[in-house]
Amino acid sequence: MSVGGVPGLITVSRRRKGMRSYADLLSTPLIVLLGGAAVALWVSTRTLDDIEARALQPSAILSDLGQHLILTAYSTLFVIVIAVPLGILLSRKGARRIRNVVLAVGGFAQALPPYGVLVLIAFAPAPFGFNPFSVIMGLVAAALLPVLRNTVVGLRQVDPALIEAARGMGMSGRATLFRVELPLAVPVMMAGIRVALVLNVGTAVLATFVGGGGLGSLIVRAQTLNRPIVLVTAGAIVAALALMVDWLAGVAERLVRARTS
Amino acid sequence: MSETTTNPHGIAEGHPDQRPMIVLEGVSKTYPGQTIPAVAELDLAVPRGSIVMLVGPSGCGKTTTLKMMNRLIEPTTGRILLDGEDVTGVNADQLRRRIGYVIQQVGLFPHFTVGENIAVVPRMLGWDRQRIRQRVDELLELVGLHPREFRDRYPRQLSGGQQQRVGVARALAADPPVMLMDEPFGAIDPVTRERLHDEFLEIQRTVRKTICFVTHDLQEAIKLGDHIAIFTAGGRLAQYDTPEGILSRPANDFVAEFVGSGAAVRRLHLIALSTLDLDEIATGSSPTAAALVTVPLSGSVYDAVDAMLDAQTSVVAVVDDDGQAVGALRWNTLVEKLQLRGLHP
Ligand SMILES: Nc1ncnc2c1ncn2[C@@H]1O[C@H](COP(=O)(O)OP(=O)(O)OP(=O)(O)O)[C@@H](O)[C@H]1O
Ligand SMILES: [Mg+2]
Repeated sequence: MSVGGVPGLITVSRRRKGMRSYADLLSTPLIVLLGGAAVALWVSTRTLDDIEARALQPSAILSDLGQHLILTAYSTLFVIVIAVPLGILLSRKGARRIRNVVLAVGGFAQALPPYGVLVLIAFAPAPFGFNPFSVIMGLVAAALLPVLRNTVVGLRQVDPALIEAARGMGMSGRATLFRVELPLAVPVMMAGIRVALVLNVGTAVLATFVGGGGLGSLIVRAQTLNRPIVLVTAGAIVAALALMVDWLAGVAERLVRARTS
Repeated sequence: MSETTTNPHGIAEGHPDQRPMIVLEGVSKTYPGQTIPAVAELDLAVPRGSIVMLVGPSGCGKTTTLKMMNRLIEPTTGRILLDGEDVTGVNADQLRRRIGYVIQQVGLFPHFTVGENIAVVPRMLGWDRQRIRQRVDELLELVGLHPREFRDRYPRQLSGGQQQRVGVARALAADPPVMLMDEPFGAIDPVTRERLHDEFLEIQRTVRKTICFVTHDLQEAIKLGDHIAIFTAGGRLAQYDTPEGILSRPANDFVAEFVGSGAAVRRLHLIALSTLDLDEIATGSSPTAAALVTVPLSGSVYDAVDAMLDAQTSVVAVVDDDGQAVGALRWNTLVEKLQLRGLHP
């Protein structure tokens, strides 16, 4: 099951002004709210039997949701910690040759089916195995490329004249990186991080198959029970989560862009 | 200036503080993968406190020459001395903080306000906030931008010419003794440019910086330069001389062609009205003083001739700052004077 619109191309959308930008800022939470209310209304009109009531217990759902968020947060964090410094290194002049090699390997990693990667990792020797650590590593492998690529692209597209101006005024290479290059690359990097985050939220649904828990467990339970009401509720929660995470990342991206450009 | 002895570079020798500020000795630069050097065997001495204009066709190595002076580019051969010290021996970052640099593409940081752009070097030098703020306002004022209006704007909210002026202010920020300016006024309209030239010279009279200034515009070179270096394609120095020297004694065909026709007219820029003996006013019979076209005493003979042709008259009144007529200049006597000075062919 794949969740959320994962864009294949990472484009930095133009800044739009005026009412329009507020409208599309509000539309996602509005849709989530209306959809959630509709499902909740539908569930409340039905009398639940024992099995359904147990499956839809708030405490169970919340625990799955919590696990899911932890998996997503850690995997995204690791992606950033690995891909951003690596991207900075690859963006340097001296790394011209190795840059394309690494990006190609990254593309290969992303092209692998996440489920296969998870299973492979789960059968790998310790510390891998059927545990959340394996899940997180699998998610990191699958979501590394967008952040890596956007970090490299974001840094490479900084106008060389600005770097020359900085160096020409006596800024060190390091200061130029932190005060000029990175701030100007951040919007593009944020777009990559957003994609990684949404990928991770979606792929984390598979965690349950390799002992990682998360909202996938809720869906599996619903399927084995074969109760439509549980299935619909589980699906709605996963979809709402993916939409909200994407929305939050979009808001963050927009704030960053407004500050730096 | 014509009485001191001069070396082949046209630079006065003698006094210790007349030791050139910047010296290039046999400097060449060949970019990797290229066979023709961008700069070839360049010898150049820039006297302390003077303005040297680098002029020449596009691609002749002017920018390359500037960038070698602050080590953005390392020369392939040769030596560059700054204040007697070989620049390759010092920390490049420290060196550059002592050299103001206006890059050809302006290069303002888009995520910094105008004020923050100007404050870059002072911040690196650890100035306190109060001092930086004062300096920023002072510099904006200097380049003709109202501090309150422009300090907190972002570069994208400025016109090209305004951006260039901020670029100049940024290079001046820490009051460096040496300035390298790569076409700093390229995108500015002729009227503002003229005003900036005057202000630039005014500032230079007091601050006495050593300036290397790249331009495509011979007029600008003649107006601003104490010396002019004309480059040929292929990075060779065709002539290094004073503006007078370039205009009246072109060293070779290239310079003659570069200066082009109209050198005699251009030279008129170099003669200040204040250095001429003017005729007494209102002695003549025909036009009365009140009816005369006037030119300011601070102007050049060029301005006077321009005014005469414009008004189709053969006499103009020269007035001082208060508008008081100090004398008259007549076409006939002007031509005689120029012949006496030996400035006419
Ligand atoms: N980084 C570089 N790598 C290779 N060649 C270069 C580089 N920079 C400049 N060149 C070449 O060196 C020559 C001199 O370039 P330079 O920028 O110094 O010219 P310029 O006199 O400043 O020209 P313009 O008036 O157009 O600014 C040109 O032929 C140019 O193509
Ligand atoms: Mg140039």
